[in-house]
Amino acid sequence: MLAKLEHVTKRYVKNEGLRDLSLDFPAGEVVGVLGLNGSGKSTLLKLLAGLLFPTSGTVTVFDGAPRSKRANIVFLGENDALWPWMTPSDAMKFMSNLYDDFDAARFTGLLDSLKVPLRKTKTMSRGERGRLRLAMALARNAKLYLLDEPLAGIDLISRESILSSIVQEWHTDETILLSTHEVAEAEGLFERAIYLREGRLALDVSAESLREGGKSVVDTFREVLA
Amino acid sequence: MINDKGNWSIDMSAGPIFEQIAKNVHQMLARGALKPGDKLPSARDLAAKLNVNPNTIVHAYNELEAQNVIEKRRGLGTFVREDAPVTGMKKDMLHQAANAYADEGRQLDASIQEAITALKEVWDVG
Repeated sequence: MLAKLEHVTKRYVKNEGLRDLSLDFPAGEVVGVLGLNGSGKSTLLKLLAGLLFPTSGTVTVFDGAPRSKRANIVFLGENDALWPWMTPSDAMKFMSNLYDDFDAARFTGLLDSLKVPLRKTKTMSRGERGRLRLAMALARNAKLYLLDEPLAGIDLISRESILSSIVQEWHTDETILLSTHEVAEAEGLFERAIYLREGRLALDVSAESLREGGKSVVDTFREVLA
Repeated sequence: MINDKGNWSIDMSAGPIFEQIAKNVHQMLARGALKPGDKLPSARDLAAKLNVNPNTIVHAYNELEAQNVIEKRRGLGTFVREDAPVTGMKKDMLHQAANAYADEGRQLDASIQEAITALKEVWDVG
């Protein structure tokens, strides 16, 4: 198992992020993490990234604590923390210094296929910055990619090119967890869909087996979470 | 959501994607958009075009290979077999669709004439 949660509960000061969640993630799976706002999607991804610690239960990635395996984990968060003065070539230097597994050639290719303009981020649109951030994330050679809402708040064309790049760059031994509200656009990518409701697992299912029953991942989203 | 790109059309609510991909290939062969000897896109390229998982395309291609419609040529890619059962494919697919229509018509107690008339009326509109 590439990553594993065993009876994980995460309590914040005021509310519960996740409650008694147990999940296994084998290598080479593209998983949709689906739920409404506050359902625990980001909490799940941050626990796997080692950015949060469980209140109880254990999270393991490659048989260790996520924090000790960060070289193998890519986390793309919701916060757009790019420096305003940064250009894509600054971003390339920054990432190369930070991560041994950063592939500069792959990054350049991604900038091209994602049509990222080569200017300072402060003059970029939200979609352009989102595409740049995805290029930075996908240019690393990791085994676990945790993509938190990479499609949120950006235009349709950017969303389509982001999804295409994820398909192009994905190697069959890598596991991707992608949380999204834009279920309709992303659902073809998912082999497995995990539905969270108020911090609990509502459904964990193979996407094609849902469709076997004549329902899409979106239809099921409405059913399970309504 | 219907994902309609060129010759390919996928509806996420209309059954497994791998079956739809395979059916798309059958339809293209039936109408001549794809011919024996033609090369199919690589699983990854088609996956990126349709925004579906590459494994799903591989699954569809394996299915078509088992049906003797396509073959993988080592190092070259995936091709429609020269002996693919193309003749009769259009007729087979029309029969399949007609069966469903005939069932519906019989349930409505319609005569074949009524059914043919209805079909003619919608043919050019649809």
